[in-house]
Amino acid sequence: MEQQETRQLTFHGEGAKLFGIYIVNILLTIVTFGLYYPWARAALLKYMYEESEFEGSRFTFHGTGKEMFIGFIKAIGIFLGLYAILFGGILSQNATLMMLGLAVFYIGLLLLIPIAIHGALRYRASRSSWRGIHFGYRGDRKELLNTFIIGSIITLVTFGIYGAWLIIELRKYIFKNLRFGNITFSYEGEGGAFFWLNIKGYFLTIITFGIYGFWWVKDLFNYYVNNIRMYQGETRLAFRSTATAGGYFKLLIVNVLIVVLSLGLATPWAIVRTMQFVFSNIHIDGPLDVDAIIQTEADYTDATGEDLADMIDIGIV
Amino acid sequence: MYNFSVRYHDGRLSIAHDATLTLMPDHWLIHYRDPSGELVSARWALHSIVTDENFSNLFIFRYGEFPQQTIECKDDRLPETLKKRYSEKVFFKRRITDIFKLNNTTIVGVALAVLALMGLGYWFGLPWLAGAVASRFPVSTEVQMGDTMYENMIRAYDVDERLTAVTSDFAKAIDFKTHYPIRITVVKNKEVNAFALPGGRIVVFDGILRKMHTKEELAALLAHEVSHVHYRHSLRNIFRSLGGYLFISLLLNDVNGVVTVLADNSNTLANLTYSRELETEADSKGMAIFKANGLDLKGFVDLFTVLKGEHGDVEALKLLSTHPLTEDRLRAAAAMVKGQGAVRDDGDLERKWEVIENELK
Ligand SMILES: [Zn+2]
Repeated sequence: MEQQETRQLTFHGEGAKLFGIYIVNILLTIVTFGLYYPWARAALLKYMYEESEFEGSRFTFHGTGKEMFIGFIKAIGIFLGLYAILFGGILSQNATLMMLGLAVFYIGLLLLIPIAIHGALRYRASRSSWRGIHFGYRGDRKELLNTFIIGSIITLVTFGIYGAWLIIELRKYIFKNLRFGNITFSYEGEGGAFFWLNIKGYFLTIITFGIYGFWWVKDLFNYYVNNIRMYQGETRLAFRSTATAGGYFKLLIVNVLIVVLSLGLATPWAIVRTMQFVFSNIHIDGPLDVDAIIQTEADYTDATGEDLADMIDIGIV
Repeated sequence: MYNFSVRYHDGRLSIAHDATLTLMPDHWLIHYRDPSGELVSARWALHSIVTDENFSNLFIFRYGEFPQQTIECKDDRLPETLKKRYSEKVFFKRRITDIFKLNNTTIVGVALAVLALMGLGYWFGLPWLAGAVASRFPVSTEVQMGDTMYENMIRAYDVDERLTAVTSDFAKAIDFKTHYPIRITVVKNKEVNAFALPGGRIVVFDGILRKMHTKEELAALLAHEVSHVHYRHSLRNIFRSLGGYLFISLLLNDVNGVVTVLADNSNTLANLTYSRELETEADSKGMAIFKANGLDLKGFVDLFTVLKGEHGDVEALKLLSTHPLTEDRLRAAAAMVKGQGAVRDDGDLERKWEVIENELK
């Protein structure tokens, strides 16, 4: 049998260093009444990237506190605007205006989600590099917005059932538009399979009083990873997950113990464990020429989407 | 010597070249052999070289427009050599994040010291800050705010107009020594309770009036509530919990749910402790009003006895209640009574109390 070529990412981060970064970030954020926050986030991302290694080279996050600060201010402005409309409606004491304010507020929040995802992907991808080659996201905001709005309406009408298809469709769109130099990606998942995976996970978790939850999480992680494809020219590479329910169980139990017993102080160590778990369970199978990736993507420095996504608490990729 | 071995990325292809960096007087020279064996060199003009600010012990420099060229060097002697060779350009600025390059024990030590400082700030700094902010809050705004709160909440209650009138009349006979416009409302409610809003609105449930036997008890209740108003306890409480909430959410921004729940609860507990301190303060300031008016402090003892009889004294539950243990308040009041000199029997106040008693029948 032919030996399949496979590669992995490794995470070298240390709990103590991450802890130090958190503490300094928190302190400076408090002392500056929150203004330091964008620099804090940039430092954290920079550290996490620096400790991630692939084929002997580390990743780099090029984003700066200054870029993220401008985005931060814009994002705050957008939120303040929405809240002003909401409170204006409530204070008017007029039922129609109140309903209108509420509607504008919630629809605005809903629309912000795809806008934030789009902006965050563009910024984050452009500011990430490996061996000097930058990532990129070529998606179109209008297209994502349309997919999201239509998908949300169908999800609402079908009492949430369509949600599984929507998630898969969004993943497909995002991966289709992701670039790493001249390397392209795709996502091969299917709404139906994803839906049944969740139905099975949901009911078995209830029946087993939560124990099946570990298998469910593992299945979701595997479904995510196993459907990612990467293309270098004519060569197709596949992502493969080796995560097991037992592995998840150990990760989660130990992390909860670490966090609770230290009253949260040791959370950075739990984060490092999680990163190591994720990286060590992802394999990239296939013949990749790591010396032949060509720079293709343009520069993009608007961090508004990144900051919006952070505020609405959307995790990307 | 001015030669260092580095890794070089040209910004066009992902290949990593093992290269030699030579520090020339006004530029850097990077040369390497490409895979075909040909010797290639790159020239970096000194003024456009950017040092990458990182947390590791790798020295990284970038050059040019996007996409940039990059070199990575592991040689510890590089910073020292750069300083000597180019006195006019600073390659390594001192930054606060440099402490991450120290060893882990130092980092954890520094971090723990910072944590201890933050703890002190939370326990002592926040209440102080809340008081300072509250005392700078304009009185007119406070009165307006309290009135808006009052308008909104009073709709939920059934106001007793006649009791309100006679109780207000009673209050007018006492000098509360405050510049706040004190306005009392009595509502129909069996509960033994009363509360003050910022700016001078005091709401008294008729349930507590029915439990009282002397004018001093009512006077004690009003004096306590007026002290809440006068010393801006609501504002201080609001700022304290707001500050605490901000503090906690800043602290735990990227941290997961378990910790947030834990911290939220301990913040609530800290808030309760703080409001208990405010209650004790309202008691002692209320007693000061009594002394100034020559009223008998026994009113406080009787009032607390009423409260105690009503709420019982389940110690475990009271640990979490906003008011100090009634038992403790009783003891404190009894101690004050012993120290009190002559008391004046206020005939006017007595007559007004009788009017209230008649109204209650
Ligand atoms: Zn009170």
